[in-house]
Amino acid sequence: MRSNGYAVEVENLTRIFGDFKAVNDISFQVEKGEIFGFLGANGAGKTTTIRMLCGLLLPSSGQATVAGFDIYKEYEKIKQHIGYMSQKFSLYEDLTVRENIEFYGGVYGLSRKEISDRTKELLDYLNLNQQADHLTKSLPVGWKQRLALSTALLHNPPIIFLDEPTSGVDPVSRRNFWLLIYELVEQGKTVFVTTHFMDEAEYCHRLSIMKDGRIEAMGKPRELKIKYSADNLNDVFLKAVQGGAANE
Amino acid sequence: MHRVLYLVQKEFRQILREKAFIGIIFVMPFIQIVVLGFAITTDVKNVTLGVVDYDKSSASRRIIDAFDKTSSFIYMYNLESEKAAQKKLDEGLIKVAIIIPENFERDLRSAHAPVVQALIDGVDGNSAGVATAYVSQIARKLQIEWLQDAGVAPQVLSKMHLTQIEPRMLYNASLESKNNIIPGIIAVLLTMITAFLTGMSIVREKEIGTLEQLMVTPIKNYELILGKIIPFIIVAFLLMLVGILAGGLIFGIWVKGSIVLLFALSILFSLSTLGLGIFASTVSKTQQQAMFIAWFFAIFAILLSGFFIPIQNMPDWVQVVTYLNPLRYFIVIIREIYLKGTPLVYLLNETLAMGIFGLVTFTLASLRFHKRLS
Repeated sequence: MRSNGYAVEVENLTRIFGDFKAVNDISFQVEKGEIFGFLGANGAGKTTTIRMLCGLLLPSSGQATVAGFDIYKEYEKIKQHIGYMSQKFSLYEDLTVRENIEFYGGVYGLSRKEISDRTKELLDYLNLNQQADHLTKSLPVGWKQRLALSTALLHNPPIIFLDEPTSGVDPVSRRNFWLLIYELVEQGKTVFVTTHFMDEAEYCHRLSIMKDGRIEAMGKPRELKIKYSADNLNDVFLKAVQGGAANE
Repeated sequence: MHRVLYLVQKEFRQILREKAFIGIIFVMPFIQIVVLGFAITTDVKNVTLGVVDYDKSSASRRIIDAFDKTSSFIYMYNLESEKAAQKKLDEGLIKVAIIIPENFERDLRSAHAPVVQALIDGVDGNSAGVATAYVSQIARKLQIEWLQDAGVAPQVLSKMHLTQIEPRMLYNASLESKNNIIPGIIAVLLTMITAFLTGMSIVREKEIGTLEQLMVTPIKNYELILGKIIPFIIVAFLLMLVGILAGGLIFGIWVKGSIVLLFALSILFSLSTLGLGIFASTVSKTQQQAMFIAWFFAIFAILLSGFFIPIQNMPDWVQVVTYLNPLRYFIVIIREIYLKGTPLVYLLNETLAMGIFGLVTFTLASLRFHKRLS
C-alpha cells in the first residue's frame, strides 16, 4: 500500500446516470482496521458508491483510492486486495459447498494445494463438514451467507466490501454474521459495510449517513447521537435524513 | 490459463448436473435428424394425376402408361375434357393434368410436332417445379423411344438436338433431399447451441449475481470469455458427433471428407455464433431477452443460408445480403465435405469469408463484454 495509509480515500466522487445524480460529490476516508458503515434508504447511493470503489462502475468525476490504488487506472490491482459480497449471495446454487470453494479459490489464483488446505479450514471453521458435498441451494440462508463471505475472502484481502450483506436474514444469523465481521477486524482487516439495520449500525466504528447521493452526517455512533441529541441511531438517522430534506 | 481451467470445470459440473442439458446434447440432435430427415423432403412423390385423352390412340396410351409406372405420379382420373380437368385441379383432387390433343398420334407420325399440355397446380411452388421436371423427363424419354421406333439410328439420335433438358444431379443422384438436409441440420444445431447456450449461460450468471462476483475477482476478461466458450464448443462438438452418428446410422449418410477438417472449420464458424451469444448477453438483462436477440439473428442466418431456400431463387438484393451471413458459407462447406469429400483447397474462399466474419464478430462482442458493469 502506498500514499496516505488510508484503506479507502474518496474525494468529490460523483456518478450520474442520465440526469440523475446517484452519488453527488461525496468525500470520506476509511482507516485501516475500521468497520465503516454506510447507512441510507434504498436508492440513497450506497450500492453505486461501493460499485465504484470495487471497480465495477466508472465514476463520472472525483477521485478515489482503495488500498492505495487509483480506481480509474489500477482497478485490476484493487481486485486483488478486496473481498466483495453483494446483496445477492453470489454462490452457485447448483454446485456443492466444496465445489463453490474450489471454484472461487481457483478464480482467485490459489494453487491446488492452497485450495484444499483452505477448503478444509473453511469447512471446519463454518462447521459445514457434514454439508460439504450437498448442493449449496439446500443450505439455510444464514449459512449460505457466511459461506459466501468466506469464499469472497479466500485470497485473504485486507479490505472487505459488504453491500447489505444481511438483508433477508433472520436476527440470529445476522448476529453470527457480525461475529464473523468482528473476527475479520481482529485480524487487521478493514470492513466497509452498507446496511439499513440500525442495530447493525451500532456495531460499526464509524458511520456515514447517505441521502439522495450525498453524505448527510458522518462520525462515530456515539458522536452522532450527541450531535443530533438522540437516544439511539434510529432517531439519529431520521433526524439526519429529515434535516437534509429541510435544508434543500 | 489456470483460472480458465477452473471456469471450464465449474461450467461442466453445472451442465452435467442439469438433466435437461443431457437431453439437449444427446436426444435433441438425434430426434431432429430422424424427424426432419424424413419430414423435410423436397422429393416429390405421389403427385395426383388426371389425363384428358382426346386422341385415344396407342401413342396416347403409351403416355398414360409412362406416368402410371413411376412412383412419382398416381394416375387418378381419366377425364372427359379440359374443363373437367380444370375442375379437378380447382378442387385439389389432382395436382397435374396431362392433356393429349386429338390426332396426336397422326401428327406425331407425320412430323407435325403435336403439343401435349401439362396443367400443374402451382400453389406449392416447390412441388410444382419438381413435378414439372418429372413431366419433362418422361416426355423426353418417350420422345427418344418413339424416335428409335421410327427407325432413327442411335448414332443419329445421339446427335439430334432434343429440346428438353434432362437435369443430371451429381452427388445426390437420386435427388434425395435428406442428403442435403442432414448436413444442414447439423449446421443449424451448431448455430443454435453455440449462440443460445453461451448467451444464456452468461446472462444467467448476471441474473443470479455471480457475474458481478466474478467481476470483482482478479480474473481477466479473456479468461472469463474463454471459460464460457470452451465448454460450449465441446458441447457443440458432442452434439455434432451425435448428429453425424444419427445421420449415418439411420440414413446411411456418412461424412465423405475429412472429419478433422469438418471440425476445424466448425470451430472457425462457431466464432461467429459464439460472438453472437456474447453480444446477446451484453445487451440483455434476462435470459429471455438474450434468447430473443439470439433468435432474431439466428432466424435470418438460417433462412438466408441456402439451407431451405436456394440462394439463387432469392431476389438480387437479398442474395447480396446473404454474403453477410457466415452460415451461408458454412452450409456450403459442410455439404461439400459431407457429400463430396471436398478438400480444403477448394473451400478456401468460404473458409476465408467465414474466418473474417468470425474474427470480427467475436472480437467486437468480446470488447463489448467488459468487466465493468457500466
